[in-house]
Amino acid sequence: MAEWNAYYQNEEEDLDGEEGEESGVDYKTTGRDSLVFLVDASKEMFIKEESGELTPFDMTMQCVRSVYTSKIISSDKDLVALVFYGTEQSKNPRNSFKHVYVYHDLDTPGAGRVQDVDGLRGEDGAKVAAKTMGSGKTNLGEALWCCSNLYSDIKLRLSHKRLMIFTCRDSPHEGDSERDRQARTKAGDLKETGVVIDLMHLMKPGGFDVSIFFCDVVSPPEDDAELGLQMEPCVKLEDLKKRVRAKEMKKRSIARLNLCLGEGMNVAVGVYITALQARKPNPIKLFKDNNEPVRTKTRLYHTQTGSLLLPSDTKRAQVYASKQIVMEKDEVDVIKKFSDPGLELIGFKPMERLKLHHHLRSPVFIYPEEEMVTGVWSACMFTALLKRCSERNVFALCKYTRIRNSPPRFLALVPQREELDEGQAQIAAPGFHGIFLPYADDIRTLDTPQLPTASDSQVDKMKEIVQKLRFKYRCDAFENPVLQKHFRNLEALALDLMAPEEIEDHTMPKIEMMDERLGSLAQEFKDLVYPADYNPEGKTANKRKPAEAAGGAEKKPKVDISEDELRGHVQKNTLHKLTVPILKDACKQFGVKVTGTKKQELIDALTAQLAN
Amino acid sequence: KKCDQILYHLSYYSALVLCVDVGFSMSNSGPGQEPPFEQAKKVIQKFVKRQVFAENKDELGLVLFGSDATKNNLAKDGQYQNIYVHRNLMIPDFGLLEEIQNDIHPGGQQGDWLDALVVCMDLLQNETLGKKYDRLNIAVLTDLDSPVSPDQLDIITGNLKRAGITLQFFLPFPMDTDEAGGGDVGGSGPPHGGKGLSREQQQGLDLVKQVMMSLDEEDGLDEVQTFSDAIEKLSVFKHVEKRPMAWPCTLTIGSCLTIKIVGYKAVCEERPRKSWSVVDAQTHQKEDVKRDVVYCVDDDEETEVPKDDTIQGFRYGSDIVPFSKVDQEQMKYKTDGKSFAVLGFAKQSLVINRHHFMGNQILKVFAPKDDEHAGVALSALIRALDELKMVAVVRYVYARNGNPQVGAAFPCIKEKYECLMYVQLPFMEDLRQYTFPSLENNKKYTPSENQLSVVDSLIDSMMLVEENEDGEKKDLFKVNHIPNPQYQRLFQCLHHRALNPSAPLPPVEPWLITALQRPQAVAARSRAPLENMKKLFPLKEVVKKKELKTSKELSTEQLFGNREVYRTAVWKQGGLQNSGLVTGRTGFQILNIIVTSLSHIINAILRD
Repeated sequence: MAEWNAYYQNEEEDLDGEEGEESGVDYKTTGRDSLVFLVDASKEMFIKEESGELTPFDMTMQCVRSVYTSKIISSDKDLVALVFYGTEQSKNPRNSFKHVYVYHDLDTPGAGRVQDVDGLRGEDGAKVAAKTMGSGKTNLGEALWCCSNLYSDIKLRLSHKRLMIFTCRDSPHEGDSERDRQARTKAGDLKETGVVIDLMHLMKPGGFDVSIFFCDVVSPPEDDAELGLQMEPCVKLEDLKKRVRAKEMKKRSIARLNLCLGEGMNVAVGVYITALQARKPNPIKLFKDNNEPVRTKTRLYHTQTGSLLLPSDTKRAQVYASKQIVMEKDEVDVIKKFSDPGLELIGFKPMERLKLHHHLRSPVFIYPEEEMVTGVWSACMFTALLKRCSERNVFALCKYTRIRNSPPRFLALVPQREELDEGQAQIAAPGFHGIFLPYADDIRTLDTPQLPTASDSQVDKMKEIVQKLRFKYRCDAFENPVLQKHFRNLEALALDLMAPEEIEDHTMPKIEMMDERLGSLAQEFKDLVYPADYNPEGKTANKRKPAEAAGGAEKKPKVDISEDELRGHVQKNTLHKLTVPILKDACKQFGVKVTGTKKQELIDALTAQLAN
Repeated sequence: KKCDQILYHLSYYSALVLCVDVGFSMSNSGPGQEPPFEQAKKVIQKFVKRQVFAENKDELGLVLFGSDATKNNLAKDGQYQNIYVHRNLMIPDFGLLEEIQNDIHPGGQQGDWLDALVVCMDLLQNETLGKKYDRLNIAVLTDLDSPVSPDQLDIITGNLKRAGITLQFFLPFPMDTDEAGGGDVGGSGPPHGGKGLSREQQQGLDLVKQVMMSLDEEDGLDEVQTFSDAIEKLSVFKHVEKRPMAWPCTLTIGSCLTIKIVGYKAVCEERPRKSWSVVDAQTHQKEDVKRDVVYCVDDDEETEVPKDDTIQGFRYGSDIVPFSKVDQEQMKYKTDGKSFAVLGFAKQSLVINRHHFMGNQILKVFAPKDDEHAGVALSALIRALDELKMVAVVRYVYARNGNPQVGAAFPCIKEKYECLMYVQLPFMEDLRQYTFPSLENNKKYTPSENQLSVVDSLIDSMMLVEENEDGEKKDLFKVNHIPNPQYQRLFQCLHHRALNPSAPLPPVEPWLITALQRPQAVAARSRAPLENMKKLFPLKEVVKKKELKTSKELSTEQLFGNREVYRTAVWKQGGLQNSGLVTGRTGFQILNIIVTSLSHIINAILRD
């Protein structure tokens, strides 16, 4: 399979020395996700509260911007709209609604839209907003009606529809019961068509009372705990962003399986991915005359007859010790099959049996299948299992087969009970984390060096250093500088900016600050562990220098190998003694086509060519 | 990469001679028992098969003794008779496998295994002359049931030692077989239908012990094994151990504190070394299949454009941004070399969120082998972190212009060594903070006390870690002892197909199926609690919600029934791969699929 995929692989990804792992996610494209920001544009939104750093409006715009950019990076097929209500001016598709201003129609966000939203930020942004839209009468019912039209105008199939209301007024119509009633009716209509309405309420002097009006407008929370409405209004931008982020992404399972405890005891569960390495998207090919994407078609031809080969006209082969072994494509697939998709319980183990080094890829998350209406007992059993595993500090060992023809892997199902923060927001979801366990083949034996250990005084000195440099780690504190830089570059090109916005690289150590905090400690430690004539910098640091000075154009000396020499190696079966670069050059030199880059493949190709 | 190449040049392969007894006693066996000859043959078959598929470059020779024919360099004047050098040192191949299967038969003579050993030594010494090898080894497979002349024993062991040749013995019976004979010796059973060891065998066993002890006083006897043990061990296909690749770097804390380190991949998903190539179904020639990539613009005619007329671009949301490779290279994020720089130290409890471990490997970080000062410095860090229950959060860059990672270096202190264990942590972009409805706070799902206690009894009955009378803990199911079943199966099928090209593939080997199942003891114990659970949680049979099928899937399926093969095959060919780019043109696509698939079916019918 590697060969088929090789074409689509991003060459650069291989630089970090790891094989590009198939992400394991294949979202079934059942439709697009959509999100409408419905933002209050009344005067109150532009008033900064004493304690607040930003006006509610400004906070909202920053939040919208961050959703736009994160959609561009992580889910660029999703549709997003930005609509203001309580405006003086009106602008909507048929201009049939007063005091509703559709700033951005439902569409995928691009660079232009990000720039638009940027224009609404800060004090200047407030002026722009006042000039283009102004603040006027509020009619939330009209606004919701307008939004429902936005949804119905979309010709694409929408899978998940969400609408978020941003406001700092708990009584938008100031007691006008007719407009309240109309808004409730329209909200009801929207909910009936499958739109989920969330309230992102912002701080308001005297407190935001959801029960006055909004409790009837928003969708009931997903569970009975009524988390949504107990939440305090957002005061900080970070909180708002977090709350929006938690809602804005539709949970998608990568598989729906049965967790089989024993014969006839199946619990329906969904398998989710909660962390996945975000990668730079692959480039697309454009026709240079019009910059439109071109489609890539890959076909197989018969070299002799030139006729098109169908999948069934080909077979698969591997060569071992100069012998070709041939299988049908189906056979290659089916030998990977061991059991039907599912999670099969093997047993339980105490948690201390799960070691730190039991790690192969990012884990999956297991939660009872939500859409199972009949599955109350199933969810109940899941809950009981979760509770007892957690209380007894054990994990469940399971055999995991994700799809048909996928070979089994073993997972340690680690119980995770729900955790809430002070604001009743969920910080840890209830369910099992599935940790992939390594097979015997995956664990490598290392020669461990025998070296002296440190004395107590040396350890104590290091402890001082560690204490000086301690900080509170947060998993969302680091942005990926490679991705950020890539998208800033694209943004700059798309918007014709002179230069891309600089990124702040949080992965770089803050050397100056660290040195300052350490003071003389570093030297003291070195005096304790290193003799005076020892150079702890090592050779590696210096060796690179000359190459870099030469502009990094490090050219390896080209090694040519004569045909005779090569034939000699083929005959003596000693090709493997040559290095990969030499083999590659040799392949090029003798026009040998190679399908892979693995050493053995190069050797096989050369052998096949030169043996005759 | 460089150090990899150097390592490569420094490494040599080993040479091994299989010295197999085919004498007439090897064919003797008790009723219902497999003759030692057949067992020995299985051992060498499995061994050679493993070497062939691993494409191991170790060289292998095969010497038979007790054979009717004599062929060896030392055979002179009636000396060294009935010893037959079947194969000189060579890299094993399928030819050898076939020879073992077809050409090696039991002989009618008695062979002196000490003489055979001398022939093997002579062969090893002649054939390895002037070449360098990691290891020279002789494996003797015999029932020891023939008279030997031990007068040369000291000279032989002396020569073995001098030449650095190691020795292994494989016998049909365990070494501690009752010498008095007639004793009960467990599963493998005494030879000669329970009559115990013969006088020759007893003498032979003493000699074997003598030789092995003189070669290696402590562990010498570990190299004497039974045929059945060897067969069991060799049934597991083993990848050749990859030489762990060293990653030398320096750990930095601020600008002036540095420690020299070397990192190794310790855990990483092992992948097969070879991939499948596409060959023509008739000729089986790879060269007959040509892959052709064409680009076409998005119009009704699907006009093809030459590759040179295309440029590179990226999507930025709804925008498509032309961005040439050169520009991209120039503007991209750059790193200036490998790095293992400490950003700060954090509490372990905050970082050990197992579900936040990212990446595909665990790296173990040591000080360089010969640098005790670095060793002490690193040890101080490891112990400080261990005592404070903290980790180092580091920036890790594999090589120049590699992508930087943020990860955690945990202290790891073992009996024999200490190191830092590095694992990648997520970037903000990698996380999806999903919220899920509460379970325990939901009255509908709250289990009763009864239900909880039956879950408890299930957990009790299915504990895989048991404590025996001596307080020793025993793990009944160690995943890290199971070989990856995918590769076991792959090589089983490859081997079968190589020797039987037209036969269908064999079923999965029973030992492998058993290895992947709930241990029998656990299954038996859990039966009762499971029955109780069934009563307390009356599960309705889950009706799987039919997944919505897209129109294109439906159309092909209606045409061909459930012939998934075509659908996925066509799909993978690239036509629909970038479906994001081709929305709105799927109608034409479907037609294409239907036409290709139809023509295939018609062809198939015509062929039949």
